Order: sequence, then structure tokens, then C-alpha cells
Amino acid sequence: MLETILVVAFGGAIASYFLGKFSAKSRNYFSAIVWITLIGLTSYAYFITPTTRVFYPGFIGFDLTLRLNLLSWLFAITIAVIAALSVIFSFDYIKGRERTDFYYSMILLVNASMLGIVLSGDLLVFYVFWEIMSWSAFLLISYSRGRALAAGLRYVVMSIIGSGAMLIGITSLYGNYGTLALAELPTNLAPASPLYLLFIFILFFVGFGIKNAILPFHTWLPPAHSEAPAPFSAVLSGMLIKMGTYGIILLFYVISGIKLFLGLSHGVWSFHYVLCGLAAVTIVAPTFVAVLQDDAKKLLAWSTIGQAGYIILGISFGTSLSLAGGVFHFFNHAIFKTLLFLAIGAVEYRTSTRDLNSLGGLIKKMPVAFLATLVGIAGLIGVPLTNGFFSKWLIYKSLILDNQPFLAFAALIGTWGAILYSYKLLHNVFLGQLPKKYEEVKKAPFSMRFPLVILSIGVIIFGIFPGLPLNPINKITTFLGFQPLNLSLWGTVSDTGTVNTLNIFLALVVAAGIIWYIFRSGAESPEISQEDSYAAGAPTPEGKYNYTVDFYDPLERMLKPYLKDLIESFYSWVVEIVKQTSNRVRKTYTGYVGTYVMYIVALIAALILVQLGWKIW
Amino acid sequence: MVMSICGIIFSPLIALLSGILMLGLTRKFMARIHWRYGPPLLQPVIDIIKLFYQKAPSHGKLFDFGVILSLTGSIVVLLFLPVGKLAPLSSSGGLLVITYLTLIAPLGLALSGGEAANPNASIGISRKLVLSFGYEVSLLLGILAVMTRYETISIVKVVKIQQESGWALFSWPLLVSGIAYLLILPAILGIRPFDVVSAPQEISSGPHVEYGGKYLGISTISHALTEFIAIGLFVNLFLGGWGLWGVISGIGAGWLVVLLSVLAFLAKIFLLYIVCLLVSAVLPRLRLDQAVGFLWKWPAVLAFAGLILAWVV
Repeated sequence: MLETILVVAFGGAIASYFLGKFSAKSRNYFSAIVWITLIGLTSYAYFITPTTRVFYPGFIGFDLTLRLNLLSWLFAITIAVIAALSVIFSFDYIKGRERTDFYYSMILLVNASMLGIVLSGDLLVFYVFWEIMSWSAFLLISYSRGRALAAGLRYVVMSIIGSGAMLIGITSLYGNYGTLALAELPTNLAPASPLYLLFIFILFFVGFGIKNAILPFHTWLPPAHSEAPAPFSAVLSGMLIKMGTYGIILLFYVISGIKLFLGLSHGVWSFHYVLCGLAAVTIVAPTFVAVLQDDAKKLLAWSTIGQAGYIILGISFGTSLSLAGGVFHFFNHAIFKTLLFLAIGAVEYRTSTRDLNSLGGLIKKMPVAFLATLVGIAGLIGVPLTNGFFSKWLIYKSLILDNQPFLAFAALIGTWGAILYSYKLLHNVFLGQLPKKYEEVKKAPFSMRFPLVILSIGVIIFGIFPGLPLNPINKITTFLGFQPLNLSLWGTVSDTGTVNTLNIFLALVVAAGIIWYIFRSGAESPEISQEDSYAAGAPTPEGKYNYTVDFYDPLERMLKPYLKDLIESFYSWVVEIVKQTSNRVRKTYTGYVGTYVMYIVALIAALILVQLGWKIW
Repeated sequence: MVMSICGIIFSPLIALLSGILMLGLTRKFMARIHWRYGPPLLQPVIDIIKLFYQKAPSHGKLFDFGVILSLTGSIVVLLFLPVGKLAPLSSSGGLLVITYLTLIAPLGLALSGGEAANPNASIGISRKLVLSFGYEVSLLLGILAVMTRYETISIVKVVKIQQESGWALFSWPLLVSGIAYLLILPAILGIRPFDVVSAPQEISSGPHVEYGGKYLGISTISHALTEFIAIGLFVNLFLGGWGLWGVISGIGAGWLVVLLSVLAFLAKIFLLYIVCLLVSAVLPRLRLDQAVGFLWKWPAVLAFAGLILAWVV
């Protein structure tokens, strides 16, 4: 079963490339069918008992294994759904651009490798798939060339650093324990010294943290997300960075286990509290940066960093509530952020811009994209009855009841900041006055509207019935060694605080119904054009009288002096130093044979001197 | 069961009547301070009824939907917020849910005002969001201080604990958070010196600029309810909810107690509102950056200190 899934996924990626040489249309449908099949296969895998399978015994002394449990299943099904929707979205988005075969095979490959990551049963397989993912993601980010190439390079440099750190960690683990199997590592690692554990944690955390864009590893993300083609931005933000999340769960709760992870401390410094602090900064700082952005996708990219902070906060806080909240938020974020990137992608496709200062008033032209964005930002903020609400609620509750009000404050203020930037996104694209040049804009094609509708329904269904995804998540946290939560389909029940989303929903529907009835019975309200009442019947002023540029001007003026990206400038400084050093090294290659002969003579002289002095050989 | 059905019906009605009365009181109060006679106390009621009979332009589906959503949001909050002893849905969500539900009403207005495409409305919304970001810092810190101190996220429990151990505003260390909350209360209510959002002389009432007829009527009701909720939350968190030094709870249980508890709660709300009006009557309007600058200075520092104290003590 596991092999079938991977064979279909990777085979599809290769086949789509060659199929594209014959017919673009059949390649498109084939790619979508591959991933719809994979949704089916992974859904079916839910009913299979957790297994570990050796699929290639004795590869240079390793047994290569795959394994499936509920944790990997949850990630796999999310990958499959988002991959299928983004492939469908690509139909029209990528049509007419160059190298489409390459694009399709790459987007299939990146998703296939993500499936490989979550289904791998040992760290070697994990690492191989991880590298495939990193490289295919680089090719997709730099697909549009130009600025995208620079963004892709920045991504791949950081990615290599991360993989390098991870590789050292993997080698060290193998050197010490002689195994890389996820099933065997916990027992081996149990008696490890805290210092060695910290060493391993930090190495892997650099690898996973860079993918997950935790501060201070976030600098690759905003340019990469904004320059990639929209369907891939959605995969990137929705799923690819979550591979870091998966790795972190794997590292802390599977490889080392909760006792080692939560017990790693020295005096007042506890490892997981340091991580929580890092996550809190990751929530707050990007939120303020996002408010200042003028590029719709860059705004969403910064918001992704902030939301990933919630996930890491929930996971690293390490209570059953917070872990469930963190994992649930990963799931929700995958849905609503994919939705937002796709919606903005549809707008970009029709208007060929994503500049928040020049768009506006598209609500009547692109109603589905508008509704999708509205639902998406509601989920992002966590308005009750959208999916983001319940996962954030679990995290807040856990932080408050475990007496960490300052972490809770960071999480809450991140949400209130999210209101600012997400309303800016909605208003500057869809509300306000419609500029003259966009009067002919048509609604998005069906292949774009379909994923938007499906994802919007997901946001609302999982908002009203959070129990649907929370039940498997609850089993996952129990499997990882936590107390099970007391869940129902529409919330939790406990002494310390309950939520019943169904009651909130019913209250909202009934109240809205009554008010709508009263509203209807009032005097009639003819619909008139926007300009009529603004200019009171007089001719409307020419040009734009819309308020979008510098939407939060007073706030921006207050914030800007404080929001220098110190980390960004630190990295630039490092790059500068490396450049200078390399330049100096380069100068030793003078091109004269005489200089090289002099180097050789000097080296031999030094060796002789060493031999005479210390008698090494 | 009977109690919660009564709560579902009466909680919003009581809030509606008191909220509209508060609007009337504002006009009368301001007039008297200005040495005018002022309109009758029930003028807002007359106005709203009149507005429902007036023809008014609409700007689209979202324009209608946003107005309805805004009032709906306020009414749903009232089912969770204890009004006296009435708190019909408090078992379905606590303080965090209330904090989140209060987002719906301004969101509705923002959507509706956004579709109106009037720059004044957009400016008003932008100001509202920035201003609320200004006061939410202290508000969230204050709410967290109460939750940390009383170790619960249920607002009914917060009220109950205050019956036993005294009002939070007069107890150490929540006193500090309470003062911070009092300082931001005018900003939450949107009255002078923090009325940058409506600012009638500058941006023609901001988000409300395109409303006429029933739109104006519903948004006025929604506004009245938000005022009621803002003060009601403070009364529940820091002024002991319906508690009157054990007088009411001493009577026992029954319908009379419920009635008395609602009256005590309303009395506190009106008293506090009048205090806020006295402040607002004598101060001029701040600019937005001045307002946010103030909110992020004294109230935020106090609220932060309050949370540290609630955490440590």
C-alpha cells in the first residue's frame, strides 16, 4: 500500500513530463487524476493498521523502511488534497507560459517527495526525500526567472545549510547507535546525555526551523513565496513549510519522546521554554511587518511566518491541549493559507498585478475570489465558526491554564495584528472604488473557482465541526504519550472551559434570521451605483478617490523606525564578509607559473621544517 | 432550561433597551453640560422607528449583509456575556470566546463600509482598526491578568469568585490592571477624546457615512449594543458583575434575585457610563497618532505591570 502510493506519486511526476510532449490537455487531466487517485489511496490508508515496512533490505547496509501511522496519515492526506487542488488551479494559471511540462512534473515531484517524507520509516529515506523536495522547490520558486531566480537562490542557500546541519545530526546518530530507524531510535536515545541530546536537537532544529521559517531563519520565505507561481506559493505556504513542522514533531515526540524533550533543562533554562519564546517572537514580529507590505503575496508570506509561530508554540509548549492545538493549526493553516494564495493568484491572473495600492473594488467583478478571500481571512483571524478559531483557542487555553500569560499575550496580539493586515488585503483588492482599467475584468475561470470553493467549504465545515479533524489529532497526541482530550464533534467539554461551536453557530443563524426579517420589513432600499451618493448626483470626480495607499498611515509612521530587520542585515553582513574573504583567496591565483612554484617550494619547506622539528613521519 | 430560554430572549432585549437609553442619556447629558435643554431621553427610539420607514440607497449585497452581520455579532455576544444572573450560553464558551465574538460586529461594519466605496468610510475603518490595535494591547493584558489571577477562562466563574473575594478593581494586584482598563474605556467606547473613528466634522461619521434609513437604524442599534458590551465586560471582570457586597446573594434564589441581579448590573453600567461621559464632555478630540501614542504609553505600561503582578503575586 505504502509503495503503491509512492509509485503512483513519483510515476505520475515523470509520466506527466513525457505526456506533455504529446498533448498539454491530457497532461493536465492526467496530473489532476494522479492526485485525485492519491487522495483516494491515502484516505483508504486511514483504515490500515499502523505499519512499518522494509521496502529495500540491505541498501549499503541499511534496511530502507516506510511507515504509516496516524501522524503521517494526517500530513499525507493534507498534502494530497492541497496538491490536487493546486494542480487543478494550475490548468489556466500556467497555460500559455513556457516550460509547462517542466512545471507540471516539478509540482508533482515536490508533492510526491513530501508524501515520501511523511511516509518514511527511517532517517535515511527521510533525508533523501527531503533533498528531492528542497531541490524541486528551488526549481519551482525560480520558475519565472528574474527576481524569482534571486529569491530561489536565497531559498536554496538556506535550505542547503539546513540540510547540512541535519546530515551531521543523522551521521552522528548513526555513528553512536548504528541505526536510523524511527522505531528503534527512541530506545537508543533514552540514556543519552543531555548535552548530546541538545546537540542533536539543535542540529535538526536548524534543518527543520529553516523550512518552517522560524525566526531567525525566516529571511528566505517572503521573497520565495511572493515570486513563485501562485499555485506553488499555495503549496509552499500550505504544505512545504509544514514539512518542518512534521520534522519537529518527529524530532521532539517520536525520536526523543516527550520525557526527554520536556526534561531537557539546565537551571531555569528549559529547552522547550526557549523554543516557546522563539515561537512567540515569530508570532509577533512578522505580524507588524505584514501590516506594512504593499504586495499582496508578500503580505501573505509574512503572515505565514507568523502563523507558523502558532504551530511551533503549540507543539513546543508540550501539553496535550497545546500539542493538539498546534497540530490542528497546522491543518487549518494549510487550508486557509492555500485558499488565500490561490484567491490572490486568481486576482493576479485576471489583473496581472498584486500591488495593493493599485487594485480595488473587484468584489462585483470576481465574487467567488472575494468570498474565498473573506472566508480565508476569517479563518486566519480565527473568527468563531471558521477553523482557525478552535485551534487558536486550544493554544490560548493551554497557555493561560498553565500560567504562561505572556506567551498567551504574544499569541493573542498576533491575532489582533492579523486583523489589520488581513482587512487591508481584503479592502485594497476587493472593496472600495473600482479603477477604470479593471472595469473589463472577468471572473476567474472554473478551474480556479473550483479549488477556492472546496477550500472555503473546508474552512467553514471544520470551523463548525472542529471534532472532525480533532478526533484523529487526539489519537495522535495520545499515541505520542499525552492525556486524551475530552472531545465532541463541536468542541471540548472540561471543567476548565468549554466551547460548543454548534451553539455559537445556531445562535448566529437564528439572530441573523430575525434581524434579516426586521431588515426586510423596513422601507425599500433600491440599489444605486457607488458614485451616485458619493457625489450627491453631481458628476463624479475623475480618477481615483479611493483610500488605499498607505492604508494604515499613522500606524506605519509609528512602526517603521522600529522595524528594521536586524536578522536580514546580519545575514547580508555575513554574505559581505564571505565575498571579501573569497576575493582575497582568489588573489592568490595570480596566473604566473613562478608564483605557483613559489607556493610549492614554500609548502615543501614548511613540511621539512615540521619534520625536522617534531619528527612526525 | 426555562432560565436559559428566558435568558436568550431577555438578555439581548435588556441590552437593547439600555443601550438605546445610553445614547439618549449621552445627548441629554452633553446638552446640559453645554447649558442647552437637549432632546427628550427617548429621542433615539423615535429616530430609529422613523429611520425604518425611510427609503435609503443600498450599494450591494455585502452592504446589506455587513450591517446585518454587525448587529448579529453584538446580539450573539450578549448570549455569552452575563447580564446580571442571565448568561444563557455561558456554558458554550468563556472569556476567550467572548473576546473573539466581539470581533464580528466591527468586521460587519468594515465589510459594509468597504463596499460603499466612500473614501470617508475607508478612512474611518482604517482609523477604527488602528485605534483598536491601540487599546487591545491593554485590554488583552487586562483580561489575561484576570484569567491568570482567578485561574479560569470562564467569565461566570470570574464573577462568582469576585462575590467571594471582593471586586477585582478594589483588590490587590488586579487594581493595577483595572486602572489601565479604565483609562482605555473611552477609546473602546469611541467617545471623545477618542472619537477619531466617527469624527463627524472631519470624515462625516466615518464608516456610517453612506448609511441612511434602515441601515442607519440598524447600525445605531448595533453601536448602542457595542457600548453596552464594552462596559458590561468591564463590570463583569472588575466590578463584581451583579454582586452588591452580598446583599443580593443573601436573599437566596428565585426570580426576584435574577431581577435584582439584572438591576444591580444595569445600575453599575449606567454609573460607569456617566463617569465616562463626564470625561468625554470636557476633552477635545485627539489625532489618531496621539491617541495610539497615549494608549501604548500609560495604559499599556500599567496593564503590563498588572499582568506581571497577577502572575507573580
